[in-house]
Amino acid sequence: MLLRKDLIRLNVAAETSEEALRAMAQVFVDTGVAKESYPDAIVLRESKYPTGLPVQDKDFDIATPHTFAEHVNEEAMGVCVLQHPVQFQQMGTPEITLHPQILLMLAIVDPQAQIKTLRKIMKLIQNPDALSAVRDAKTPDEVYDILSPLLA
Amino acid sequence: MARPKVVKFLTVCGSGIVTSSMIANIISEFLEEEGYEPEPSECNPSEMANFIARVRPMFVANASPIDADELDGTPAIPAIGLITGLGVDEFKDKVREVLQAAGI
Repeated sequence: MLLRKDLIRLNVAAETSEEALRAMAQVFVDTGVAKESYPDAIVLRESKYPTGLPVQDKDFDIATPHTFAEHVNEEAMGVCVLQHPVQFQQMGTPEITLHPQILLMLAIVDPQAQIKTLRKIMKLIQNPDALSAVRDAKTPDEVYDILSPLLA
Repeated sequence: MARPKVVKFLTVCGSGIVTSSMIANIISEFLEEEGYEPEPSECNPSEMANFIARVRPMFVANASPIDADELDGTPAIPAIGLITGLGVDEFKDKVREVLQAAGI
């Protein structure tokens, strides 16, 4: 299981994508999941290759920030729910602006070993109702309980 | 029964890790359903030209913008729709077209 309860943060204040990314990436550093270089690497990667993804029929989008394995100590997934959506660019089509309120932040070393989980994360991206429930959750426990059966 | 025909393809994403692996996995599943033997490679945009020269993929599926000049004639199919679930059928149709044009 990639998702870790200690990497779930709710009600995070951020005005820009960089503030949101740095706030969440720092949690990965503080828990030892990622190296000190991780926040800068996440921000740089997002500016070059954005990870925003549209969510169907909802008033918010998501982003899946991640970066190279050299900045990662152990594989994990975290969830950041922002107080309000901030502007990100769309993966693959950076001229499109999206408004993610949920970041599914990934620390991945060996994608082949995680391919089943990555497929489940993709299914989650295509599940607006689950994402809405995550967005509206009141506690990290609640987020964990919504997501763990979907990602197990 | 004849051996299934090998289809080499290259998936490209910003880090050359996470998204390209997800896409490669979906495309492989689809190619198997169609009776082919998938042979995926994954890379990031700056590695793409090298991979194309070395692997000679039948098509590129990209989840990040790529430099068309570096494709060396290889057809490129935008693959974000596989992640969002919007445009999966369109993607599959394009792959079928490419394979048909290649005569396999």
